Amino acid sequence: MEFRTITAPFTDEVLKSLKVGEIVNVSGKIYAARDAVLPKMVKMIEDGTLAENGIDLQGGVIFHTAVSPAGVGPTSSNKLEIEGTMPEMTKAGIRMHLGKGELKKETIEMFKEYGAVYAVIAPVTALLNSKVISKKCVAHPELGMEACYELIVDKFPCIIAAAHGESMF
Amino acid sequence: MAFDYNEVVAKVADTLVRAGSTFRQDKKDAYKRAIANEELERAKWNLETILKNAEVAECNRSPLCDDTGIPHVFVEVGPNKCVTGALLTAIQDGVREGLRQLPGRPMAIMGDDKGRIDMSGGISPDSDALDAAPILIKEVEEDVLRVHVLMLGGGPAIRGITHRIFHKHNIQVVLDEIVTRAKDATRLLGCTPTALAIGVGRSQFEATALMMEAMVYSDFSKQSDMEQYITDKVNESNVGPLGLNGKTTVLATFMKVGPQRASGVRVVAMRPGCCFEPRMACVEL
Repeated sequence: MEFRTITAPFTDEVLKSLKVGEIVNVSGKIYAARDAVLPKMVKMIEDGTLAENGIDLQGGVIFHTAVSPAGVGPTSSNKLEIEGTMPEMTKAGIRMHLGKGELKKETIEMFKEYGAVYAVIAPVTALLNSKVISKKCVAHPELGMEACYELIVDKFPCIIAAAHGESMF
Repeated sequence: MAFDYNEVVAKVADTLVRAGSTFRQDKKDAYKRAIANEELERAKWNLETILKNAEVAECNRSPLCDDTGIPHVFVEVGPNKCVTGALLTAIQDGVREGLRQLPGRPMAIMGDDKGRIDMSGGISPDSDALDAAPILIKEVEEDVLRVHVLMLGGGPAIRGITHRIFHKHNIQVVLDEIVTRAKDATRLLGCTPTALAIGVGRSQFEATALMMEAMVYSDFSKQSDMEQYITDKVNESNVGPLGLNGKTTVLATFMKVGPQRASGVRVVAMRPGCCFEPRMACVEL
């Protein structure tokens, strides 16, 4: 099956066009961040130090994954430090949270306020590895695989699981 | 030393790589049956993508999932076979070599007890810094020395439950409680379809050991009446592949019931394995 490709960072027009249940390919620049680094990124937002690290969250994607020699793949987005930081990350500009697992209704309602979406990606590391064009650590390298990375990706297959206040859960 | 150290290390390392990178034929067949059975196009596509990922991982001998899992070793020992401390050391060395080859995700936490709990000890950059879980050893009638390597991921560990059930002298009470727990777990897991592993024992340790045994002897083509009942009931939830609806929430259930005590309580360990589990392979030494 062929699906449309959308390129991050996203415009409001692209975000408005996304439908719940739609399969899309995500290309472009995305950020990889999970449990350990997300609270530290919230602190960076508060301190205004994201730009010093070359991080621009506007219209951006946060992929809830580690980055390691084993590859990339989604961790559970409903973990405390991931779902718990979604409001701050969304308010700061993130428009697609990419991971797996059911989210709370209030989180999905919050996305609606900002025009953000939640997309699910299968944990298909062997397939995703060939779609990662480049990776660069951009914050907290001391966290190893849990540091924040900037990834350039080509056609990550994702399913829009929540958008415009609607969800598949 | 009555064994060839280098041979044991090489065999265990290869077994770990196979565990982390391949689907056995019975699991591939189960996926094909599930794909044929799904009516929702999106669910079918999710299952096909997981199966395609397994084919690529097997071809490349690369990880199925970036969470390569915590190594768990299960050893079967026949009547005339011998397990020594030196052999267990060689098996552990084989695990470390396998983690280097796969490669395993570097996720071992360093430091003292407190530092390892809150991660203030830092993360080791080395794949082989990850210690295997305590080795389980079981005597068997077949005269073999067989090593099973299982790679247990973090998502199922979050959603797994080991807890007592008051059975009220009715098997249905126990099965229905397992179904209730499994429905809650699979809804939040995110990487369904699951293979449910269940152990029923007299203590938390025994139930968990039986749950491990259920995985070791799992066969997707064989389901007991109780296993099929649990699978069917959980599949009524429509959670589906990746939690995005469909008929296949559970691919199969593997249940091992051990000896029980005269009591109104049963201890049940349940692990909702991810779409790749049980990730395992075995070798004879």
